[in-house]
This record gives sequence, structure tokens and C-alpha cells, in this order.
Amino acid sequence: MKPLARVVLMCMMWLAGVSLGAQNAINIPFETYALPNGLTVVLSTDRTAPTVAVNIWYHVGSKNELPGRTGFAHLFEHVMFTGSGHVPYGLHDRLTEGAGGSNNGSTSNDITTYYETVPSNYLETMLWIEADRMGFLLDSLDLAKLNAQRDIVKNERRQRVDNQPYGRVYEILSRTIYPSSHPYSWPVIGSMEDLSAASEEDVKNFFRLYYAPNNAYLTIVGDFDPAQAKAWVAKYFGDIPRGNPIKRPAVEPVTLASGQRLVMEDRVQVPRLYIVWPSVGSKHDDRFALSVLGAILSGPRTARLTKALVFDEQAAASVSAGQDSNEDVGEFSVTITPRPGHPLTDLEAAADAVIERLKREGPTAEEVQKATAGEELSFVRGLESNLGKAFQLAGGAAIHGDAGYFRTEYQRTLGVTAADVQRVANKYLTTGRVVLSVVPTGQIDQASKPAESKRVE
Amino acid sequence: MTRRIFPLALCPLLFVALCLQPSALSEAQGTLDRTKQPPIGRPAELRVPSWTRSKLSNGAELIVSEKHDLPLVSFSITFLGGGDQFEPAGRRGVASLTAAMLNEGTKTRDDEALSNALQLLGTTVSAGVGGESGSISFVSTAAKFAPTLDILADMLVNSTFPPEALERLRGQRLVALNQAKAQPGSISARVFPRVLYGDAHPFGQSQTEASVKAITREDVVSFHRNYFKPGRALITVVGDVTPTAIRADIERGLASWLAGGKRPTFTFPSLTAPRATTIYLVDKPGSAQSTFAIGLPGPPRNTPDYYALSVMNTILGGMFQARLNANIREEKGYSYGVGSGFAYGKGPGPFRTGGDIVGDKTDAALVEFMKELRGIAGARPVTDEELRTAKESLVQRLPATFASVGAINGAITGLWMQGLPDTYYQEYGKAIGAITGDDVLRVAKKYIDMDHLAIVIVGDRKSIEAPLKATGVAPITLLDIEGNVVNGP
Repeated sequence: MKPLARVVLMCMMWLAGVSLGAQNAINIPFETYALPNGLTVVLSTDRTAPTVAVNIWYHVGSKNELPGRTGFAHLFEHVMFTGSGHVPYGLHDRLTEGAGGSNNGSTSNDITTYYETVPSNYLETMLWIEADRMGFLLDSLDLAKLNAQRDIVKNERRQRVDNQPYGRVYEILSRTIYPSSHPYSWPVIGSMEDLSAASEEDVKNFFRLYYAPNNAYLTIVGDFDPAQAKAWVAKYFGDIPRGNPIKRPAVEPVTLASGQRLVMEDRVQVPRLYIVWPSVGSKHDDRFALSVLGAILSGPRTARLTKALVFDEQAAASVSAGQDSNEDVGEFSVTITPRPGHPLTDLEAAADAVIERLKREGPTAEEVQKATAGEELSFVRGLESNLGKAFQLAGGAAIHGDAGYFRTEYQRTLGVTAADVQRVANKYLTTGRVVLSVVPTGQIDQASKPAESKRVE
Repeated sequence: MTRRIFPLALCPLLFVALCLQPSALSEAQGTLDRTKQPPIGRPAELRVPSWTRSKLSNGAELIVSEKHDLPLVSFSITFLGGGDQFEPAGRRGVASLTAAMLNEGTKTRDDEALSNALQLLGTTVSAGVGGESGSISFVSTAAKFAPTLDILADMLVNSTFPPEALERLRGQRLVALNQAKAQPGSISARVFPRVLYGDAHPFGQSQTEASVKAITREDVVSFHRNYFKPGRALITVVGDVTPTAIRADIERGLASWLAGGKRPTFTFPSLTAPRATTIYLVDKPGSAQSTFAIGLPGPPRNTPDYYALSVMNTILGGMFQARLNANIREEKGYSYGVGSGFAYGKGPGPFRTGGDIVGDKTDAALVEFMKELRGIAGARPVTDEELRTAKESLVQRLPATFASVGAINGAITGLWMQGLPDTYYQEYGKAIGAITGDDVLRVAKKYIDMDHLAIVIVGDRKSIEAPLKATGVAPITLLDIEGNVVNGP
């Protein structure tokens, strides 16, 4: 063995966290490399079952869009299932679901991801399909196809947002928390007007820039031979050219100077209260303590808000609290659905009393322990699924530049102390927040403090 | 943002070394014909888990299946028989209410103490009772198995059913039943079986406001005493355990759970005489969508036609590219998804096809549903390609059946529930493989009786009734949201 090769091998094993005989279950053995065109590849074998998961992340989401041209990232998620240069429409489904597997995709503010789970003998076929839609999607995309998908997306918007009880809440919250030019201020699904206004060339340019190998992370997890997989990855992805350099949007953290009270009428049976604070994104370490804070406030019957509002006072049908972290920014929110006869104004006051006490006194050590005790089990259960592991590895690589980020995440979560929780509660759960009441149409007076609330729609 | 592949300084070296591996790049050079679909390699051999059987001293059966790759254990106690066999008349809902009450406190732990203990173990114990079976179960790390089992045993044997907890759960249930009246999917799920089976058959019944209000604490205590018995139970343990040691742990952990109970007999009232195909229209004013449920009573799980029916249904509505979805969603754009399926069990569970349809396409969608049902029953013969894809899809789903300790538990327990042989999964591929196009046609004709279908549509009557009538598919009967016939205009 040549010296260089040996160094590489040792380095690989170390980086991959290959635990030689170690009993530590908190591990996903993996290796990672890049093709000359910039495609990041992460491989992790698990021979437990003869199946394999293929997961590809494109580091593009709605935040990469421009005002007036929103909804492109999500539109592409649809277009990606309509066939590509050498793969006719329908074949993808036949080779996944028709082989006992599955496929899907999803779009967020930050990323667009596609995945398949298939019997392991279909791995090469999946790489052929994924490479074809990365390299040759535009060969089969014409205006008619684009318009058909545009219509489907508009229908999806009608059904999932406009026609859904409470469906427009997140749009209203985003545009209230973030200033109008901020990349997180518009919804992932985009606006009807922008989707209509987009030219074929606009859409194609978006694809050329962001669906390039240098912006993609390919993860393969399951029952396969790594050398063979590397050869196939090189064969199908190797000659797809690198794209132009990508300028990422500058995302500024936000704070609200003062509280904002809003009320929205909607076709709902029951009113609902949303209290939202701007917090931090997934690259900020405070998110771990904020997540634990969420678990201390809501969930099991002993959690503070759940116990006070749902069990002791029986004033709420349900309450949830938690941290939501995007790549660059995040929010902490509390959502309360009342029981009949309990005004939102009272529920807001009751929730605030619980939160203020927690800020003043901090949680007990046992509360923190209970909130994190399930981490080990949920992590180990996550290891049972090839797709779950693929998401952990790809997410780490795409967002944190480290496919092994799951270890950091696990350790930081377990390391959260009661003092950390008290500190982040005081730092983020301030008066600079949005309080949104959603009320049945014609019943503005059911809002929390209706006289002080601004009507929005 | 700079993209870092490795978090370490030495990595650029590694990076280059890997990229230059000649074996990895050689195939990329030369001309790659991307029009050629890669060959599907040889399928991997199916690996079916094995298990051992024994009996506990209290009479419960025990199945243990070892899986040592991760320190996890899936534990369940499954009871044969459910609400359909054990709920008294007029008390529908007592079974699931009793299961929910197992979280509300024991002789030595109140509800919060139970919750705290489980949170500190990092797990939850779930209990539920359905139509023909019930269970209490958890997944834990191997290290936390014994203390979690102790809590499960406490809930199973020593629950105290506090009256105030019953009132809280009853209140929540009544709110949920009320909210369900506004949801077309919930209305359909209640009305469709009632139309098919009628009030006298357990499949036609469900919990109502009246039955939930009528349930007393005595009903709950009595259901608990009579139902959760080892004599009708199977304990399934899958994961990082060994049969001998785990058996001792379970005998010790469940020592207070005393013998008793026997398996129920599964007898069902005879079905009402089938009625001519009818559209049952439930008015949901202002609804933008129409919820479809079309079908009729089907065979029990132990039918010899099971394999042929599985293939037939996969072609008709069991996949994304199955005939129904390919036509009604992908080609016509009337829906975000339609499908079909049989609810197999001990009795004549329904065959149902349906989905949510864009309101102004209700009539057009009905025509397409009927066309596809006639098609599979002979008007449009199944192609060799459809047959092959459906069979492959079914057989190759099996590995996913064994993908986790929980999934393996379900796969094994399901065999016991339905009285299927231990060799079922080994023989499954052969049985599906033997199905022919003629088999598919025979069972489609036999079980999809076009003359006796119930077509339940929940939607905006004002805008859809006339178009539905104009299709001429079947006469229309109006029902209210409970499924009662509405007389008059």
C-alpha cells in the first residue's frame, strides 16, 4: 500500500467515525467525497435489509428567489417529476413504486430535496434518473409542460393555503416578522401573480444556476457496494458541467422593536391564538436550548403550558410551543386552541403568566432531564431507516458543511442546562413579538384584546 | 457562503486523492448512452426474520424475534377481539375510552407520576382498542426495557379510572365528534359503512354523541376487567433480546397479570340484501370538494382469493400510477389523489374506492370512476406490463415490512391475528407470482359487482346534484351527515 493511500484510508475511517468494536450506538458510519464538478457525495452502508435510499439535496429554496419572482423553487419540485431528457414521464414511478419502493420531494425556504427508497438492485437505475433530471431536465421542458405544472401549483395553493382553515397564518406571520425585501418574508409556494408572470427563460435560468452539481448533495444509504456506487456516481454525474458561481442572499437576523397585535377572519369553527417571537436559525447554538424550552412548555401533561391550560384550568383544547429553525433565521411560537367559552384574551394572559414564571425562576433540572431523555431513543430509532439517515447526513453536509453534524447536534441537545433554558427564554421571549388571533368570519370580538388588534387578511 | 466538505484542514488532500481514483472515473469517459435504462441487477434474497414461540404461566402466548444491530426493543401485547366483539349495545366507544384511561393513574402512581416516569425513561406506552383487536405497546432502548415493562404492567393491572379523568376525556371526545361534523372526510367515513352494513351489523356502527354520553365509569371498569386478559393475548418482543432472558423478564414484570379470558369467536350477522347501485348524496353546503366513497362489502382476510385480489387492486388503485390515479389525478386533474383498497379482517370488510374531487368535476369524476371499475372487471383487460409491475411491486415491498423492530413486530403479530402460517412471508412471493391475468379478471368480476355499488358523495348539493343526475349513472338518495335518509326536497 502506498503511503498516501494509507493516510487516506486512516483519514477516511477517522472522519467516517467508523467505530471499531465500540458499543456507541449514536453513530452513522459514512464516507464523503466530491466529484470534480462539485457534486458532494455521502455514502453510508447498512446491510440489514436489501434496500437503499437515494437522497439528493439542492441548496436552493424560496429564499433564493427575488421579490416579484417568487415560487420558482417549489415550481421546480413539480417539474422534476415530469420526466427529463432521456427518462419519459411515468418511468420514475414505475421503477420506484412499481418495484415496491417510493419517491417524493419537498421544498422549503432553504433547500429542495428529492428521494427514493428502492430494492438495492435498483440503485444504478435511481442514479441514472437523478443524474438525468439534474443534467437534462430542460431538454424535455417546454412551455406547455411548464404551464401545466403552474396550474397544478396554483391548485395546490388554493387547496393547501387559501381553502385550508388557518392555512394563511404562516404567510401573514412571515410578512409581519420580516421586512418586505427579506428573503424569508415570502411564502415557499409563492404568489399567483409571480407564477403567472414568469417567462420560460426566467424559469430555465433559475434551474441552470441552482440545479448544478456544485449546488447538490447526493446521499446513498443502505445495502450497496461502495466501490460500485462510486463508479456509478462518476458514470452518471461525472460529465454534468459545473454551474456558475452562486451568490447567496445576505440574510440579516431580525428583532421586533415592539409587539404587534393582529386579527384575521377565516372560515374556521374555533378561534386560535398564535404568539411568535423571532429567534435564531439552525447555525446558532441557542436553538438547542430553545428546543428544550419548547419541550418544557408543551407536550406531555406535565409540561408547563399543557398542564396549566389543558389540564388544570381546562381552558384550552390544545397548546403547542416550540422552536422552528431555518438555515439562517428561526422563530419560537406558542399556539393555543381554546375550549368553548374561554376567550383568547384570557388564554394569552394565562400563557404569559406561565412563561414569565419560567423566565423568572428557570426550569428544574428534572424538567430539562425529562425533555432530553427521549433523545437517545429517537436517535437510535432514526438509525433504523435508511432514508432517515440519508436526511441526517445530507442536511449536515448541505447546511453545516459536515455530514457528521448529527453528532454535534446530539451532544449539544444533551448538554443543555436549566440555566441555558432560562437564559434563552429571557433573551428571546420578549415583548418584541407578534400576537395573531384567527377568528371565525364576522367575529372579530373573539380576538385577544380585539380593540388593540390590527385587522389583516 | 463557502462550501466545506470536510471540517478539517487536511481534507483538501483527501479530496483530491478520492477524486482522482481512476476506477471511479473511467466509466465517465467515453460516450455514455443515457437513453439506455441501466439493467436491474439480480434482486437480493429476501431475509425473513425468524422467531420462537412459547406460553407464559398466565396463558398468554409469547413470540420473540431477535435483532441485534441496534440496542432497541419493540414490545406489544395484542388482544384478539375488539370493540365489535366486546362493547355492549349502546356503548360504542367504551373500548377506546378505556384504553385512553390507562394513562390516568394507578393505585401507586397518579397520572402525572406515570407521565414523569415514562418521560425519564424517554419513551411512551401506547394503548388502543380497534374493531377486532387491541394492544398496549412500547419501543424502548434495551437498557430501559425492564423499567418500562414495570410501568406497562402497572397500567394494565392497577389502573384506577378516576371519575374526573373520565369526564375530561368524555368532554374532549364530544368536542371531537362535533368538529368531525364539519369535515367531509369524517362524514364519509361514518356514512359509507352505515350504508353498506346497516345499524344491526357492528361494521355499520360507530361511537356517537349519545353512546359517549351514556358510558359510565362502571362500563369502563367492567370493560377493563373483562377485556385485557392473557387468555386472548399475544406478547410479541422484537429486538436486542434473547428468548430465554426476555421470557424471565416478562414473567417477572407481568407477575401480577393473572390468568383468565379466552379467545372470542368471530361471528357476524348476515349482510342485508344488496341494493341496486345508488348514489347517496350527503349535502355539505359550500364545500369546494366532493369526497367520494364507492364500494360494497368484501371478503374476509382468509379468503383464498387474497393474492389475486391484491394484484387486482394494485393495478386498479394501489399505486400512484395505478389506473384510477393515472386517469383521475394525473391525466384529468380532477383530484390530488384517488385510490382503492379492501379492509381485510375477520369479517366482510368493505372494498372502497374514492378520494377528494374538485367540486365542479364531481360528475365527470364519477363517470371516470365507473369507467375504471368496469374496465378492471373486463372492459379493459389487464396488460402483461400491468400484471408484471403489480406483482413486482407487491413482492418487493416485503423488505420494508421488516425494516424496523416495530415493523417486524407488526408483521409477526399480523400473522397471529389473522391465523396465517409462520411460513407466510417465505411463500408470499410464490403465491403472488402464480397469479395470472385470468385470476385478476375472475376476482374483479366476482367482488366488484357493478349492479350493487354504494356511491357515497359528500359535497355541495346545490352545485353537484343536477350534474350527478345528468350522468345517468344511478338514482340519487339524499342522506344527512349521520347517514339517515332525508325525505322531501
